[in-house]
Amino acid sequence: MKKKEIFITSAFTQNSVWRQILGICSALAVTNLMLNSLVMGLGVIFTLALSGFTISLIREYIPKRIRMMVQTLIIASYVIIVDLFLKTFYPEISKSLGPYVGLIITNCIIMGRAEAFAGKNSPVDSVIDGIGAGMGYTLVLLIIASVRELFGFGSLFGIPILGDWWTKWSIMVMAPSAFFMLAILIWIINTPRQKRG
Amino acid sequence: MANEKKLFRETRVYPIIFMLIITAIFIGILATFYQFSFAKVQKYRKTQLKKMVMGVFEIPTQNIENDFPRYITIRKMEDLIYYEYRQDSILMGYCFPISGSGLWGTIHALLAVTRDFGKIINIEIVDQNETPGLGGRITESWFKDQFKGKILIDDNILNNFMLISENEIAKDNEIKQITGATASSKALVDMIYEDVKKYNLKLRADL
Repeated sequence: MKKKEIFITSAFTQNSVWRQILGICSALAVTNLMLNSLVMGLGVIFTLALSGFTISLIREYIPKRIRMMVQTLIIASYVIIVDLFLKTFYPEISKSLGPYVGLIITNCIIMGRAEAFAGKNSPVDSVIDGIGAGMGYTLVLLIIASVRELFGFGSLFGIPILGDWWTKWSIMVMAPSAFFMLAILIWIINTPRQKRG
Repeated sequence: MANEKKLFRETRVYPIIFMLIITAIFIGILATFYQFSFAKVQKYRKTQLKKMVMGVFEIPTQNIENDFPRYITIRKMEDLIYYEYRQDSILMGYCFPISGSGLWGTIHALLAVTRDFGKIINIEIVDQNETPGLGGRITESWFKDQFKGKILIDDNILNNFMLISENEIAKDNEIKQITGATASSKALVDMIYEDVKKYNLKLRADL
């Protein structure tokens, strides 16, 4: 597979969220603010790329029976690095993301890519695949967050857009709206495909 | 040689040794990162706390590192760490951490009171996990500012604030609650009552 193809496949055609319905727990949790979604997305991209790279690098040596343990260890290490990095340099963002950065460890996308791709392909390809999958995930987060933040807070990235006349929709701030938005998004994206098929 | 290696990789100890080595490597990497960030994180936390204590007493400051020790004395009593605010060596008030369960998790706050616990000086939310946009509004200043100057203990009777709706006019012992977030508003009022009851006799200067 060509590099570009790998990227497009993991970011769009096989997008982890809308095609594989993975990683939705975190997609629901942090998407009431654009900034939080972006930081979360970057964290996931970083973790995916580097864990993919590392797992691919040592894939020949990982004993098959304990590969899940090894993957979890590697993923967890990178997530802790992201967490420490945010705590050190961006304490405000780290505080507002709360436990969700640490919970990147449990994001099924990362384990999924490790199992499905990094364990079988070269390190460079795995990095591209990781960045692709991460960006696909970030894209979904940002789309949902743009709607939720706009209707829920009247702002985007914390900048007021709608002004005082706007009555904030509390439901958009709370978790249920993320379910609606995600479902609508998946519906819109997957409908044309099903018609074609 | 290659043959020998393959044999070793098929042995039962190989996975164990592999796991040990890789764990050691990654713990090493993480420990390095942690060492690097620890001092900075600690420093940030300390400054944040100092800023908050100064803020809760409403002491204007340009240089927190200089001004903090000038006005604030950190005290310890049993498990409680609290702060005394002195102006020209006269004790003005206390600040101590209070906490209670909110809707989703524990709410932590700092409460500043006058030296006789007669009035609330100010309250500041340190940490909360309430619903953003609803209970999360306990951090908004209109809500917190309601507590400023409220009578806390009058004639040795501890005041328990009543909650009223957002568009009513609050009397002395009343607090406007946040619409749609009764539980979070109540949590704050309750934790003030409970923790003041717990600490007031221990800390008060005039006893």
